[in-house]
Amino acid sequence: MNYKKITVLLLSFIMALSLFAGCGKKESGPATLRITMGLGEEEWKVMREDVFPAFEKANNCKIEAVQIEASDVVKKLEAMKQANKMDIDLIAQDNMALAPLVDKGLVEDISEFKNKIPSEIIPSLISVGEFDGKLYFFPFRPNVEINFYNEAKLNQYGLKPPANWDELFNLAKTLKEKEGVGKVGIKAVFDGNTTVQLFEFIRQAGGDPLVLNDEGSVRAYTFLKELWPYLSFDSLKADWNTTNRFLAEESMYLAANWPFGVNVIVKDGGKKEIKAYGGFSGPVKASKVLGGDVLGIPKGSPNKELALKFIEYLMSKDVQETLASKLAWPSARTDAYAKVEDWQKPYFDAINEAMKVAQPRPNLVYWADVDKALNDALKEIVVDGKDVKATLDKYHQKIEEAKQNSSK
Amino acid sequence: MASRKIYKKLLFYLGIILIILFMTIPVYILFRVSFAVPEDVLTSHPKFFITRFEFKHWQQVFNSGNLWPPLYKSFIVATFTMIFALVISAPASYAISRFDKKIKYAVILSLFFTRMFPNVGIALPISVTFLKWNLTDKNIGLIMAHLIEQLPFIAWILVSTFETIPFDLEEAASIDGAGRIKTLLKVVLPVAAPGLAVAAMFTWLNSWNEFTYALYLSLSTKTLPLQIYYYVLRGGFFQQAAYSTILTIPVLIITFALQRYIRSDYLGGAIKG
Repeated sequence: MNYKKITVLLLSFIMALSLFAGCGKKESGPATLRITMGLGEEEWKVMREDVFPAFEKANNCKIEAVQIEASDVVKKLEAMKQANKMDIDLIAQDNMALAPLVDKGLVEDISEFKNKIPSEIIPSLISVGEFDGKLYFFPFRPNVEINFYNEAKLNQYGLKPPANWDELFNLAKTLKEKEGVGKVGIKAVFDGNTTVQLFEFIRQAGGDPLVLNDEGSVRAYTFLKELWPYLSFDSLKADWNTTNRFLAEESMYLAANWPFGVNVIVKDGGKKEIKAYGGFSGPVKASKVLGGDVLGIPKGSPNKELALKFIEYLMSKDVQETLASKLAWPSARTDAYAKVEDWQKPYFDAINEAMKVAQPRPNLVYWADVDKALNDALKEIVVDGKDVKATLDKYHQKIEEAKQNSSK
Repeated sequence: MASRKIYKKLLFYLGIILIILFMTIPVYILFRVSFAVPEDVLTSHPKFFITRFEFKHWQQVFNSGNLWPPLYKSFIVATFTMIFALVISAPASYAISRFDKKIKYAVILSLFFTRMFPNVGIALPISVTFLKWNLTDKNIGLIMAHLIEQLPFIAWILVSTFETIPFDLEEAASIDGAGRIKTLLKVVLPVAAPGLAVAAMFTWLNSWNEFTYALYLSLSTKTLPLQIYYYVLRGGFFQQAAYSTILTIPVLIITFALQRYIRSDYLGGAIKG
């Protein structure tokens, strides 16, 4: 038998063995806590090197952390629940995507453990995890969109990042006149991304997004209709992911996005001219949507007690300070302080500035209807050019109907 | 007249060049970005040609620890899906191809009936079943899921292939003393090699790129497309490009290895004379 044949046989044997990868029995040993998070590479590194080891040592356990994006968590848990085989002990989930988890009964009601939340946790973060008075999620990581801007380009035209709506309008208009195309972006993909920004505009004008046809809402949508012709074409494709690219590739000189963009645009992309600030105020006030991640325990979690311990650990002062210092995450606690790296400092300041005016979104069982109403209204007003008041009246009615149906 | 012929030829070649460019430019851009110095591409007027190479992004990918397990998993799953699909489909398709025309099409249509439902619609019930069978996060589970998707198509391709092989060939083999299995292995399959190569390539590529089942059935070790998906959402621009370039390399190798079996004149030798 020649070498060629032996090599082929060996490779075939190894490949055949690989078929059954993972099929063996689990070895007994320390308990394994399986958690899911949606994080970037840098964030995982800090978790694996600076956060997990101390807990594993103290509790003689092993943490198996897997990357699952917020939008995929529901699918995974749904399958596991239906199969009556829950493999996940703890989820860190985007607080913008909680309703389906509660709605489908995928997470535990943890109201009885509410006393485990330290008194130093920022109170508004607790309400984010409550639905109909019951606690389903513990606070973990607050987050807020910051406004990124291309300092070099703005300086080139003698412009400054806008502090209010008038300045925003003038900036958008000036950039369009100078460059021939709009360079200010909003996320106008007409989904949850846009909802965040609509909440901010409406609240900045003193309106209530759940009412939608009040004076503030009319004012916000009217302003967006006026601003629309001066915005970047890429606004229609801008979500939390693509906005980073549009800023880095300079098709947008000003746009709001989540702070993870700092690592993507500035650290990896080397675009040091992209700076950030807390954002602009509206005619009534400054307002931002409070985002971030919360911690939940899936129904049927095999290690519920250990998961609860880990939640307490993640809310502790030490961990919150580590996350703030190493990742420039704003802290969930009032007593956790951070010393971030020099290059991160301006961005961290922007996050903290925005956090001061951050308000949570209400948790509603009819959230999907509100989301759709806000986006459909924007589409009809800015794209189709329909009348602001009449359109908002129509969608106010739809929200009211959804509200009534949900209470039946 | 001669100049008209030259124009026609020129147009023909121009068309071919345009099609080739249309196919290769996106792959080139991926490759280009994966080796780019950030300021060369992160601008409103990115440079098309590579003037400077930056190996940092590839280094990061190789050092991340997130490349080899997904690459290995994808390779094993795609290869065994291809092998199992051929082993199951080839004899079945051969038998189907020898049925009466009406029965043959009824069988093929019934196979395609299972493909009428979109993957996203049936992925949840399938993953629930696989979870109950303890097949999630295992290569064999994903291979089985991929076979659900691939078998009808591969059977369709192979039935069409076997149909074109004249029955006379089998009769000749039978006269020479070959049994049915021997005829299939020694006469029919070699003649059907181009069809088998197309089916194998099609199955391997589909399995290699498959996303929906991989999403439902993978937890700790992901396939390469899933890993890229997470990088697209979370990672930097350059690592996305490096991962995507890596994804295309085995595709090129497999296509190159199997394309030599694809010839239009494959029946020529068999039925000559």
